[in-house]
Amino acid sequence: MSEKPEKLIDKKGLRLDGRKPDELRPIKIEVGVLSNADGSAYIEHGKNKILAAAFGPREMHPKHLTLPDRMVLRCRYHMAPFSVQERKSPAPSRREIELSKVIREALEPAVFVEYYPRTGVDIFIEVLQADGGTRCASITAAALALADAGIPMRDLVAACAAGKVGDTVVLDLMDTEDKVGSADVPVAIMPNLNAVTLLQMDGILTFEEFERAVDLAIEGCKKIYAVQKEALKARYMAVKQEEEVEE
Amino acid sequence: MSALLIISSKKGNYMTLKSSERKSGNLVLPGERLGVIEEFIPDSGTYVKDGVIYSKLVGRALMDLLSRRVSVYPLASEAAVPKVSATVIGQVYNGQSDSAIVRIFKIGQKKLSGIFTGILHISDVQEKYVKSMNDVCKPGDIIRAKVISDKNQIYHLSTKDKNLGVVYAFCSRCSNLLEPGRHEMVCPKCGNVERRKIALDYGRTDV
Repeated sequence: MSEKPEKLIDKKGLRLDGRKPDELRPIKIEVGVLSNADGSAYIEHGKNKILAAAFGPREMHPKHLTLPDRMVLRCRYHMAPFSVQERKSPAPSRREIELSKVIREALEPAVFVEYYPRTGVDIFIEVLQADGGTRCASITAAALALADAGIPMRDLVAACAAGKVGDTVVLDLMDTEDKVGSADVPVAIMPNLNAVTLLQMDGILTFEEFERAVDLAIEGCKKIYAVQKEALKARYMAVKQEEEVEE
Repeated sequence: MSALLIISSKKGNYMTLKSSERKSGNLVLPGERLGVIEEFIPDSGTYVKDGVIYSKLVGRALMDLLSRRVSVYPLASEAAVPKVSATVIGQVYNGQSDSAIVRIFKIGQKKLSGIFTGILHISDVQEKYVKSMNDVCKPGDIIRAKVISDKNQIYHLSTKDKNLGVVYAFCSRCSNLLEPGRHEMVCPKCGNVERRKIALDYGRTDV
C-alpha cells in the first residue's frame, strides 16, 4: 500500500478503489454506542473507523476556563497508535492539536452555547482506523454525539472532502489519493441552514477547480447528512419501541 | 401529550392542508423545519431564524392546532444543569462551621457525567436555629437538597423540608454507615454518636 501507484485514475475514469470521481465511499453510522457518555456515535466511512463521545454540559475543570456568558466547547481529536500503517505515538501531535481546534470550530456555530453559561461540553474523538478524510468523518460523528447528548443545536453538521487527483476533481479522497493527489478541500456544512462551517484547502487549484471541488463536497455533505439523519432516527425509533414494551 | 396528539390529528385534516406532510408526533432532528412564525407560536424545543421555526432537539414535534403552538418533546436525555426548585443529590465535600460545599452529581432523576458545585448555608438548613454545621452534615455524606438560587451560577441549596437532608451519613471515626437513633445518629461498629439533619427516607434511597 505504501508504494506509489502509477495512475490514480484509469482509462475508464475510475479511481483506485473503482469509484467514479463523484462517488462517496460507503458510510455506516451508529448513534448511542457508549453507555458511559452522555452522547456518542460511531462512523465507518470507507476504511475510516471513528468513535465520538460527548459529555456535558458540566462544570469545567480547570474552573478558570469557564466563560461567564456561554458554554465552552472542548474537543479532543486523537488517533489510536494502531490507526495507521506505522505505529503513531499516542501523544497528541501537532496535527491532532490543530485538528481538534478545526473540528471544534466547525461544530461551534451549530451549538446554542449561550444556553448554559459557565459550563463546558467535552467531545472526545478517537480514530481507530484512518484512511484519509478523518477530520470530516470526525465532524459528522461528533455532531451526532452532541445531538445524542441532548444539547440544543441549530442544525446537524455534515462534512466531506473533495480534491484533485491527477487532472480531475474528485469527491471524498482516500489516504493514497490524499497523499499522491495535488489538492484537498474539506468542507463542513449545516444542511438545513445552508451554511458552511468549515472550509480548508491544501494544494493548488485554479479558481474553476476550487469552485467545482466545493460544489462537489457540498453535494457529498448532503448525501452524508441523509445517512446521519437515518442513523439518529434509527436510534430513537428503537428507544421508543423499548418504552412501549415497558408500558 | 397524547391528548395533544389526538386534538391535532382530528383538526389537522381540514384546518391546514399544508401541514399534513409535517404531521404532529413525527420524529424530528436538530435543524428540522417545523413551520413559519405566521402559522405557529414557537414553544419549547424550537428556535426561530428568519421567520422559520426549526427544532433544536431530537424529539417528537407536537403541533397543537388549537392554540397554534409548536414544540418539540425531547427524546434524547436532556442536557441537565441545576435550576431553581430542582431537587439534587450530592456529596458533602467540605464543611465549614457556617456552610458546606456540595458536589452535585444527580439532578432530579438524571445522573450527571460531571459535577456541579453547590453551597448549603447554615441558614437554609432548617426553619429552626442550627448552632453549627457539624450538627447537619459532615464531609463524605450524601445529601438531598433543593436549589433555591442560581444567581451568578453559584447554586445555593436548601434542606428545609422533611424529605431533604442527609440520605447517607458516615461515621467520622470509622467511616461506617451511621444508623438513625432516637435523636442522634449511632455508629453500629464503634458506638460513636453524631448529629445530622436527615431526610425522611434516610438510608433507604438509591443514589
